[in-house]
Amino acid sequence: MKTWQRSLLMLFGLLAVFGATAYAQVPNAPTVEFPYTGNRLAVWIVAQLHILFAAFILGAPIFVVISEWLGYRKQDPRYDRLAKEVIKVTVILYSMTALTGGLFIFVLLATYPQFTTWLINHFFLVFAVIYPLLFIGETIVLYLYFYTWDAWKGDKKARHIALGVLLNLIGTITLFVIDGPTSFMNTPAKAEGASIVEFIQAATLWDKIFNYSWMPLNLHRLVGNVTFGGFITGLIAAYLFMFSKTDQERAYYDWMGFVGNLIGVGALLFLPFMGYLLAYELCDYDASICPYMMADQLSMFFEMQGAMIGLIFLASNYYIWLSMKRIEGVERVRISVLAVLVMVALPFVMTYIWTIYPVPDPKSLFVLLPLVLLPVLFGRFVPFTVSSRAAIKVSFLMVIVGNAIWMTPHGFVATGAKLVEELELPGDWSFLALMPAKNSAAITLVFVTVVSYIIYNRAIKQGTIVWGKIDFASQFVLIFLAFSAIWTMGLMGAVRSLLRKYFHTYNLVPDFTVESFTPTLAYSAWWITGITLVFYIVVSFAIILTLRVSESKAHAHEGSPAPAGAK
Amino acid sequence: MSEQPNFIKSVIKKAVIGAAVGGVLFGAATALGFPPIFRYMFVAYAMLGTAVFILLDAPALPTMSGLKALAALLAFYVVLSGVYIGGASLWPQYDPDDEKGKITKLLEAKRKASEQGKAEELLARAKALDEKASAIMQRLQTLGGPTEAAPAAGGAKAAGGAASGDLVALGKEQWELQECYNCHKLYGQGGKKRGPEMDNIGNLLKPDEMKQKIIDPQSWMAEGFEKEYEKKKMPDKYKELMEEKDIDALVAFLATLKNPAVNTPKPIKKK
Repeated sequence: MKTWQRSLLMLFGLLAVFGATAYAQVPNAPTVEFPYTGNRLAVWIVAQLHILFAAFILGAPIFVVISEWLGYRKQDPRYDRLAKEVIKVTVILYSMTALTGGLFIFVLLATYPQFTTWLINHFFLVFAVIYPLLFIGETIVLYLYFYTWDAWKGDKKARHIALGVLLNLIGTITLFVIDGPTSFMNTPAKAEGASIVEFIQAATLWDKIFNYSWMPLNLHRLVGNVTFGGFITGLIAAYLFMFSKTDQERAYYDWMGFVGNLIGVGALLFLPFMGYLLAYELCDYDASICPYMMADQLSMFFEMQGAMIGLIFLASNYYIWLSMKRIEGVERVRISVLAVLVMVALPFVMTYIWTIYPVPDPKSLFVLLPLVLLPVLFGRFVPFTVSSRAAIKVSFLMVIVGNAIWMTPHGFVATGAKLVEELELPGDWSFLALMPAKNSAAITLVFVTVVSYIIYNRAIKQGTIVWGKIDFASQFVLIFLAFSAIWTMGLMGAVRSLLRKYFHTYNLVPDFTVESFTPTLAYSAWWITGITLVFYIVVSFAIILTLRVSESKAHAHEGSPAPAGAK
Repeated sequence: MSEQPNFIKSVIKKAVIGAAVGGVLFGAATALGFPPIFRYMFVAYAMLGTAVFILLDAPALPTMSGLKALAALLAFYVVLSGVYIGGASLWPQYDPDDEKGKITKLLEAKRKASEQGKAEELLARAKALDEKASAIMQRLQTLGGPTEAAPAAGGAKAAGGAASGDLVALGKEQWELQECYNCHKLYGQGGKKRGPEMDNIGNLLKPDEMKQKIIDPQSWMAEGFEKEYEKKKMPDKYKELMEEKDIDALVAFLATLKNPAVNTPKPIKKK
């Protein structure tokens, strides 16, 4: 896509924002009724698409600049090429972010004009000044970063990397700023004992932004965006690997998929804890949100989330498994038996400990830390070891066990109000549905994946990777990871919005429309899948357009692909 | 070339092991008193494990390219979409109709207070009057004299049931509407550990004290629920979400709960 085409798209996005803002100024503007979808669904589709594009354009530059820096430091041109290819896709998707953002505001103002103007009034400085300035600043720096890639080489490379850091800084601030109104809708600022309505009238802008869920949402999105960016890089690599014509190309895209997956999974390990922190703050804000999420209307959404997380962890471990098959000398790699024993013991021991000392009691860490550090501290003194294959097979087993614990519900009902004995866990086993068990399941998933990566890392160091010779199934695993990560984002986005129950802004601005209710999980799944597919089509198009088409123009290759057999 | 027969052998072996594990889990779950749905869930995990372990030793997928790769890719997306939609549809589904009536009742007062609500009420009244006038005109024309008009649709339909003025029944309705059951067990049903059981609260708190607790949750704390992280468990929002008459009704209902057989913890005054 040419610069003028991108500019046209962004101009359209900006015009939509201005048009919508002007429309909102019309007194008592009539509400638009969207045919076929209804208003709520129209907002849902556009908002989710916007968030997916935004997540990528905020997440991808974080590891683009890291990759560029690694290339500079290691003098390995593959990193530079990876970074440049991803930033090319990012530039295209940046236009889509602007377009869907403009559309989002337009749809929101058309469908919920009273609420939207109310929100804009409360965050006027954010919407009218700070956010547009940051967006313009980010646009300038992004294009500067992209177009100076070839010009700022050699001695000027450090300057270019600094520009990348600046881009990420602006991107992160933009994320934090827009998270203000978003989190405010879930947990509007309040003061103990005071009326929330009166408090909000007198509250400063900072009071409104720095609400209960603002920082947890910032952290959750920041880590989520890096995960997302990593998995989308894996997707790009998988596409290009599949359609590579030479061994050299396959070697390079195999390596690119490996890096994307490594970053995606590395960030993924932190996500359960970031999600837990967000849920904890939401429950701390209003304890009635907790049963709504975990025991009532949204409980089955969380069952589905558990299933998705289990699949993502299984897939990321399976990618390691397939990757190890193409490492020559992997059979020599062994690991202490202590690591395997800890993997097996972890969910059971920690469920017991956390039942006695629930998180966040500091005593809850007294057993966890020694347990997970045991293989590191004493592994070398214990003469028994197991092969890497056996250890990873145990980690698969424990991912399934951990996921089974995560997904065991208190009852197989969508609302606690309809719980009957035939659908409920027996009393003696009800602990399986409580937080100590769920936390131990999460820590098990993370721990076994870390152990798998440690084994993988040892295999890479002790053996030789034959790049390009990976099992072709691994490319489907990379695609699966990206698809599942996007689907899960859609699911949790729906959950975060639905947590407001029958309010636009929780407990503050009621939603009087007929669409103010909790939809079924099946209905939500149809739309989440639809949104994921639309996003996929656009991303696939952007990848083909920027990388395949531009490649066919036979420009000089940036970086030398590693030949098969190179380490 | 011998990879395929070996894989088939491996599949059979793992399927047998998986079936055995599933059988053991099913038997153990039955012996331990798990309801059938949980037993099937455990068997499903055994099947998942079997599938994963079969996949681990599957022969490498041959490299595809061109149209074949594209077709495989599209088929993969179709399967993924189908599995995710199908998987989500298998879980128990919340019926939105259970909630819709509840939300209408909860927001009734706020809707009336809002500009939109006022406009809607005026429109409804105008419509009712219009219908009434039409009905009278029709009667006059057909019968030749004035008759009593039929009550307008959507008029004061509040009579009967919980809204008939029975304060305790109204209070019970508030218990359901505000979803108190999610945290407080009552009659052996509902939330178990977030808040105390309420069956004997009528013997422990006077109506005024109950009202104070609802309006200011930290004014009273039940024994055993005084830890720092538990103090904010009861939301400080009902004074704004509920009208005073609704709180009075809820208190009237709670005051009837006097079952000493249930160990409702003693509330301690904090403010």
